[in-house]
Amino acid sequence: MDLNLNRTDYLQVGVTSHKTMKLLPASRHRATQKVVIGDHDGVVLCFGMKKGEAVTVFKTLPGQKIARLELGGVLNTPQEKIFIAAGSEIRGFTKRGKQFLSFETNLTESIKAMHISGSDLFLSASYIYNHYCDCKDQHYYLSGDKINDVICLPVERLPRMTPVLACQDRVLRVLQGSDVMYEVEVPGPPTVLALHNGNGGDSGEDLLFGTSDGKLGLIQITTSKPIHKWEIRNEKTRGGILCVDSYDIVGDGVKDLLVGRDDGMVEVYSFDNANEPVLRFDQALSESVTSIQGGCVGKDGYDEIVVSTYSGWVTGLTTEPVHKESGPGEELKINQEMQNKISSLRSELEHLQFKVLQEREKYQQSSQSSKAKSAVPSFSVNDKFTLNKDDASYSLILEVQTAIDNVLIQSDVPIDLLDVDKNSAVVSFSSCDSESNDNFLLATYRCQANTTRLELKIRSIEGQYGTLQAYVTPRIQPKTCQVRQYLIKPLSLHQRTHFIDHDRPMNTLTLTGQFSFAEVHSWVVFCLPEVPEKPPAGECVTFYFQNTFLDTQLESTYRKGEGVFKSDNISTISILKDVLSKEATKRKINLNISYEINEVSVKHTLKLIHPKLEYQLLLAKKVQLIDALKELQVHEGNTNFLIPEYRCILEEADHLQEEYKKQPAHLERLYGMITDLFIDKFKFKGTNVKTKVPLLLEILDSYDQNALIAFFDAT
Amino acid sequence: MLLPVFTLKLRHKISPRMVAIGRYDGTHPCLAAATQAGKVFIHNPHTRSQHFSASRVFQSPLESDVSLLNINQAVSCLTAGVLNPELGYDALLVGTQTNLLAYDVYNNSDLFYREVADGANAIVLGTLGDISSPLAIIGGNCALQGFDYEGNDLFWTVTGDNVHSLALCDFDGDGKKELLVGSEDFDIRVFKEDEIVAEMTETEIITSLCPMYGSRFGYALSNGTVGVYDKTARYWRIKSKNHAVSIHAFDLNSDGVCELITGWSNGKVDARSDRTGEVIFKDNFSSAIAGVVEGDYRMDGHVQLICCSVDGEIRGYLPGTAEMRGNLMDTSVEQDLIRELSQKKQNLLLELRNYEENAKAELSSPLNEADGHGGIIPANTKLHTALSVNLGNETQAAHAELCISTSNDTIIRAVLIFAEGIFLGESHVVHPSIHNLSSSIHIPITPPKDVPVDLHLKTFVGYRSSTQFHVFELTRQLPRFSMYALTSPDSGSEPLSYVNFTIAERAQRVVIWLNQNFLLPEDTNIQNAPFQVCFTSLRNGGQLYIKIKLSGEITVNTDDIDLAGDVIQSMASFFAIEDLQVEAEFPVYFEELRKVLVKVDEYHSVHQKLSADMADNSNLIRSLLVQAEDARLMRDMKTMKNRYMELYGLNKDLLNGYKIRCNNHTELLGNLKAVNQAIQRAGRLRVGKPKNQVITACRDAIRSNNINMLFRIMRVGTASS
Repeated sequence: MDLNLNRTDYLQVGVTSHKTMKLLPASRHRATQKVVIGDHDGVVLCFGMKKGEAVTVFKTLPGQKIARLELGGVLNTPQEKIFIAAGSEIRGFTKRGKQFLSFETNLTESIKAMHISGSDLFLSASYIYNHYCDCKDQHYYLSGDKINDVICLPVERLPRMTPVLACQDRVLRVLQGSDVMYEVEVPGPPTVLALHNGNGGDSGEDLLFGTSDGKLGLIQITTSKPIHKWEIRNEKTRGGILCVDSYDIVGDGVKDLLVGRDDGMVEVYSFDNANEPVLRFDQALSESVTSIQGGCVGKDGYDEIVVSTYSGWVTGLTTEPVHKESGPGEELKINQEMQNKISSLRSELEHLQFKVLQEREKYQQSSQSSKAKSAVPSFSVNDKFTLNKDDASYSLILEVQTAIDNVLIQSDVPIDLLDVDKNSAVVSFSSCDSESNDNFLLATYRCQANTTRLELKIRSIEGQYGTLQAYVTPRIQPKTCQVRQYLIKPLSLHQRTHFIDHDRPMNTLTLTGQFSFAEVHSWVVFCLPEVPEKPPAGECVTFYFQNTFLDTQLESTYRKGEGVFKSDNISTISILKDVLSKEATKRKINLNISYEINEVSVKHTLKLIHPKLEYQLLLAKKVQLIDALKELQVHEGNTNFLIPEYRCILEEADHLQEEYKKQPAHLERLYGMITDLFIDKFKFKGTNVKTKVPLLLEILDSYDQNALIAFFDAT
Repeated sequence: MLLPVFTLKLRHKISPRMVAIGRYDGTHPCLAAATQAGKVFIHNPHTRSQHFSASRVFQSPLESDVSLLNINQAVSCLTAGVLNPELGYDALLVGTQTNLLAYDVYNNSDLFYREVADGANAIVLGTLGDISSPLAIIGGNCALQGFDYEGNDLFWTVTGDNVHSLALCDFDGDGKKELLVGSEDFDIRVFKEDEIVAEMTETEIITSLCPMYGSRFGYALSNGTVGVYDKTARYWRIKSKNHAVSIHAFDLNSDGVCELITGWSNGKVDARSDRTGEVIFKDNFSSAIAGVVEGDYRMDGHVQLICCSVDGEIRGYLPGTAEMRGNLMDTSVEQDLIRELSQKKQNLLLELRNYEENAKAELSSPLNEADGHGGIIPANTKLHTALSVNLGNETQAAHAELCISTSNDTIIRAVLIFAEGIFLGESHVVHPSIHNLSSSIHIPITPPKDVPVDLHLKTFVGYRSSTQFHVFELTRQLPRFSMYALTSPDSGSEPLSYVNFTIAERAQRVVIWLNQNFLLPEDTNIQNAPFQVCFTSLRNGGQLYIKIKLSGEITVNTDDIDLAGDVIQSMASFFAIEDLQVEAEFPVYFEELRKVLVKVDEYHSVHQKLSADMADNSNLIRSLLVQAEDARLMRDMKTMKNRYMELYGLNKDLLNGYKIRCNNHTELLGNLKAVNQAIQRAGRLRVGKPKNQVITACRDAIRSNNINMLFRIMRVGTASS
């Protein structure tokens, strides 16, 4: 069956965080449900749809920004009590809007995630996890990295209470009481957790997770160990997962998986006989989807997917057909409804416009007086700056609640700005005078009307570090802009990992000196991405990293007064050495830096690069041939006369070209890294080989692995 | 929603822009398009193709209904249409960088094959002005040429730069077609036969032009802009980061008015309303669009819009039916309208809230540091801008300077200048480092051309620690001659070259013109006529003298003929002068031109000699080949080997000869361009009728190879004394 869903917009509230919209349980099967949503203005709104009009059930007064909204109630009864997390407070409302709970948790950080199960309340702030029962503190855990989401396996189906934390360092932490039972490594930083089928699946232990790099997976959390069931890789490089839900929208009796992503994608996966997910439907909305739930809102009897978006739109993707097969009178009525809606909106607009004009005048007048001040209207910018493992580039996503007018990108380090197909904005690079003003990149993005989301791709070079700034100007009056800063770290292409290969030949860099644990941690934070800013608990800590481009690794172990960095890539060590000594000098700390260079490691790294380089060279060669071969094909009419290799190229032409386009300048980057390796190898020996670089490039041009290794050895 | 009525996938690539539909046999519309390797394919789905066996056309080995035409040279333009009305069917016209072929597909014969020295970048077929027979007009290196069906050169004129696009359109509404020419110098010129009746300056190279209806026409630029003009006024334009490959006028929503259909480089096709530019329909292809044409491809009496992609995918769309009421997209109009209105409402509410918050902020304590962080600034902060000329120093070349300053202690974090045509991209950013922040900023501007430009400034104002800034938006106009500094008249020797003309205007009006078009220092005081002013160019230090006598006689001294032309054109439009005869003397430039003309002759003769050599060599090859084969048959291996060795040597010679020919050709093209430009420049020194007279007379002089006459015309403006 083909799934065909039609989009209808219900209403718009303020900016929403993720997981802040829920549907209240229906009174009977397929009856219309009420929607409850909380926004950044602190307003909780509950509404239902009647004849295409949104009818408010209740609406609270503005307050602190609402970070989460969950439904709860006595176990095994309809979950229709509304709980919200705002600041450090939890509030509860009945479905009529009467507040019955106000619980000040006294957490020092504001609450980021919440899960409710009967009288148990699971909360997490940035690093802290708390479990309350009947508002009494039960358990506590301090996480090593940021907690993105919290959930508890269904207590009504399992004999134990098993909370699970989704942590930024790519780990799900399974707790028991206040202690970690075990950790589960997942392929990306997990952003959202949900119970499979809404109840934990057959075992009651099945847990869904979504990551910020767009991957989805199912894990069974048993008492002793995790069992990975399936995983959906993000092959189409869509956005990160923000929300998931289970609902039988296809109507085959099996609950489907509904997914909302931060690039506006809504997806429906259904399950085949082997219980593997299959994509059944996808639709792109223009802004990130913050909450998703299946249910029935617009018209009873018609299932739909209700989503809320970043700027507060509540939208339904409904199975109700747009063009009803009914008499002509019906059609007219629907039209009439629409017209009414439009005209009421119009009159509202007129009224508003008049008011705005008045205020504008007042504002203008105030600019005459010398005492008056002019504040900048604040607007929220939803941003994400992440490293893509696949092509070792950063993607910067900016989202604003209203349309963006333009974005100025400024960087004080040399970086490449790549084109993203999805963008319609007109980019213009400005010349920059780097010497006097520290500008290496100045670019403006002029957005088309109604663009609320902008995606940029950035390629950084390891060893060159600094700040990237984005000045975002939306289309609101009075015109203002907000600046956002993003750090390009010295080892920008490294990513946290939890396991490394200890058998590789390693180079070691050892720091000793009079520095505190916090200080050495701050240096690590300065050099490497994905390290929590807070110094972790304990005296000594070890982090593992992987270079996403070359797959080389880095191990960093440090404590008060000592830091040890081990990597099989000599360039990594060299960058660390340069940056650390510079940082220490800046802070006037006396550092003893010693290093141990393993000659074998260079050869090892070259061997790691070899398959990548060979692949790229071959790809480039093949792509070069495509046009000529195609011409021959046109001329001769068939390809039988060609050698199989060429025939193969022709068959794969589209695929090859796509592959080639996906990785622009990949070869140049590899060359650059080999050159760095060459220079760094001899830098540690105290010789400057910059003059020999042209020779190296010559060898690379006619690449042969042995010749390259020989060149490295001989010099 | 509008869906394609047919989709075809040809296994031939299609070169961008090289697509045309014609009824080559008088009844069946066939698609002709340029493909790889200097070939043109003709797709004929209607009749099982008659197998051509001539040298030019052969059956495509890939598809049965496609025949291929060998051009053996990169095709640079292609069109189809009625060239000879008596023939009753369409001709196919294919232009390359050196030739134009008019081809009769039905009879598989050439109508004519002409060598065109200026190349053919663009082609259009139709009737022009009062010329009775249809012309194939090609645009090349600064030149326009029109051929009738016999290959007679009935129309020839020059234009400012290399031609990139052509269209025929009834620009002035007299029922006769005018020629629109888009060229590399960003100008759209309108030729009423060989007289220029209008000129519009755009911001980039004009890559496509298409007539819409009446005097309205669409255009596309190489920077991704498309838009619509009505006569000389631009109706609307939009800019995309993609490039418009092909534009075409077609009534897709059946409302009786053509929409502008654009095929984009990212595979998108959209239809935009001719009045507002609003998108009424769009579709996506998997690869870049190569061309958008129209024709009754299904032979059912309905004309379809046909879009082709570079990968050979072809889709045809029928215009929307009446029931669709112009609603061609899948979302309902009402839904969109509601969404739009709600968005508007949300924006207004947001603005209202901003004012409220502002009022709140005002009530609170006086300004302090913490406010600065949030971006609160005194409400009376004002921004001053000033344009001036900076003569530069050792480190910095002379430039025009824009100075922006705030009226208090607030700082300028960054300045964005959006302006067209004077920066590399569309914008220029000044972002001082955190240590160099101050309340004023000097921005050097060096416009490459003498054109007036609107500078749209966005200035981010706040405090040092601010994370939010106020954006001050304002627009300043950069005068046309901003790259000229006023200097004292005796500071340099007066240029020998000059133009001389008389206008009936008071000296004060000339002073006003000076003020509007130059960046004069504020204390400049110009007395009554007669007076003279002197400027120095910031680009090359050249001098510009403007002298006015009591009689209204004006002399402009400069060695730069383009500048003189710009001054005259600017004055003419300012004083609304319709016709202006000018006496001009540019000894240096004329001398150069004389040399160029000599060179052109030389290159021509070299070209002929080389062609003759080549012909000789090819005869030699033939005989050598025969000899070698004879030797082989006679089993005289030694002789055969020798012959083949000779052949090898000859081949090498030919290759070398070819290289020389290529170089010679590029040189020739360069020089021809210089000649064409000289004529254009001589024209630009005059206004109205005298201008056209000069161009016509110059052309005649070149045709008759009378160089002295040419210079005379350039000097005094007429051929007769």
